[in-house]
Amino acid sequence: MKRLIARYAVERSDALDVVTVFDTETLHERCDPADPVVHSIAPKHPAAIWFERKMADDFGLRIEGAFDRRPLLHHERWPQGIHPMRKAFDAKTELDYADFRPYRYEAIGGDGVFEVAVGPIHAGIIEPGHFHFSQAGEDMLHQEVRHFYKYRGIEKMLEGRSPEEAAPVIARISGNESIAAQIAWRDILTQASVGELPDFVRARDALLLELERVIHHLTDLGFIANDAGFAAALAWGSKSAEEARRLMVRLTGHRFGFDAIFKDLEGFETVPVREWIAGMEEEIAWFGDWITDIPSLWDRFDTTGILRPEKARKYAAVGVVARASGVPLDVRDTPWYRERGYEMVTEEAGDVAARFRVRLRELAVSLRLMRTLLEEAQSAGMPIPTVRDGEYTAFVESSLGELFMTAIFEEGRIVRFFMRDPSFVNWQALHLMMPGNIIADFPLINKSCDLSYAGNDL
Amino acid sequence: MLRFWEKRAKTGILTEHPEFDEEMAKIRRELKEAIKKRFAGSLAIRMVDGGSCNACEAECNALSNPYYDLERLGIRFVASPRHADVMLLSGVQTFNMLLHVLDCWEQIPAPKWCITLGDCPAMAAPFEKTFAVKGPAADYLPVAHHIPGCPPSPKIILQGLLNFVKKIHIND
Repeated sequence: MKRLIARYAVERSDALDVVTVFDTETLHERCDPADPVVHSIAPKHPAAIWFERKMADDFGLRIEGAFDRRPLLHHERWPQGIHPMRKAFDAKTELDYADFRPYRYEAIGGDGVFEVAVGPIHAGIIEPGHFHFSQAGEDMLHQEVRHFYKYRGIEKMLEGRSPEEAAPVIARISGNESIAAQIAWRDILTQASVGELPDFVRARDALLLELERVIHHLTDLGFIANDAGFAAALAWGSKSAEEARRLMVRLTGHRFGFDAIFKDLEGFETVPVREWIAGMEEEIAWFGDWITDIPSLWDRFDTTGILRPEKARKYAAVGVVARASGVPLDVRDTPWYRERGYEMVTEEAGDVAARFRVRLRELAVSLRLMRTLLEEAQSAGMPIPTVRDGEYTAFVESSLGELFMTAIFEEGRIVRFFMRDPSFVNWQALHLMMPGNIIADFPLINKSCDLSYAGNDL
Repeated sequence: MLRFWEKRAKTGILTEHPEFDEEMAKIRRELKEAIKKRFAGSLAIRMVDGGSCNACEAECNALSNPYYDLERLGIRFVASPRHADVMLLSGVQTFNMLLHVLDCWEQIPAPKWCITLGDCPAMAAPFEKTFAVKGPAADYLPVAHHIPGCPPSPKIILQGLLNFVKKIHIND
């Protein structure tokens, strides 16, 4: 079955163009801008549900045959009939809150079945989102993920901006994927100007991308174990992640590498990265040995939150979530990366344990990659060019998975920007992991997927 | 288990890592004393994200890592606003989040203070004010203190909290 990557609309002068990107082909459906209608593809490609609900909110598009017509971005107090992605809508319009219209949550009824509502503000230091559980005692029957509390309207915000004006916003769509999003933007700008980048620039940026992955995998290994009540792993994970972030600041001048991709990095060559990698490799080997030997922890991880391979494929899951369910999917799976030491890491079980192990094993691959990339990397980055008009697309493997970005330029300015965060598809697969588990395992399952709210909501 | 204690002994206490400069140690000493005096030894913070990029949250989480170990200064991040003295607010205050942020503020018992964290709530980040963005936060909340940065590093957050604790002493 072909894999759905993205489905979004573009308002052209004569039509509303609905673009559907699969791994094998890209389809265009042109509809009447006055009354745009398309047929739902959700029955076959369930990941299309959010894309289609988003298009309905953004453009006022009608989705025929859709079984879920609830608004997605537009919450209870959103003024009806406002579709901000239409060209006629001015981004600067100040919207007032409308009367409260209740949202109908997906809930299972029945004797003794009750609902648990969690969020948007959660207990910890974490981004806002809503999780709605249908419970039979402790057992989860179903969970609905409801998001877009962080919807900042970035797609619209970027329209009319030059590539240079857009760059700082793109770097801040999702703090934990900043390098990845900047590289996607770099690839789009490269296609729209020089065509190809020298290897020393690609190697430098790929090195930073691997460091970003190291930071997040380390953080996750700590937090996943912590959600099973094993705090000692969090102490190690957060300590190691801090050390990786301090390497990021030495390389880029910023703890998250914001705005690093489009500038020359002063002092890049003088940072003792090789020694750092060697030290971290030892740390990770120690952690792997230690954590593998704690049976009570694996008792919580094993068989918890299973995503079966056929479901992962059907729901078009990406990144660690896909690879832990035996789906070998990684943007880095190319000759360029393989020559530099890249190896695909997969696990079969699709449970929390598998996702934990994929992260642990990928750390070793990332550090190995960093070492070879260091041979080629130089301090120079790509300056932001002037761009040729056209439509361009980029894929980057962020620490969360495949990030898809596309932009249309006219007269050197953005007329349409679209980004599909890896989390946007993975969030939709999350509910599949819940049945058969108790609600106390939800945080553990959720953390094992490590999804971005900011990148998803945009 | 032996392996763990061996590692523990070898690693030692990172919180007093020699890498850490004098200035940082000074901030922490002063902060601990100020909180002891003005908040009876315990400052409870409810962190709320009103539409950030999640870097501010990552830096708040980093405050709990062994290098900063925030809790030993008497500062705790709490789950319920009803247990909080301070709302630490990040993000541009999205259309979809603002009312929930205000709900949270209502739930915090007085006396209470709102501290804005990072450039977003002050609308100083690269995000423009649009239909989906309601910021700055100060239009809706009595902001007692602002900690700038994109994102502010753990060290700057500690310094900011210290400045806040000192400032409110002058006011009362």
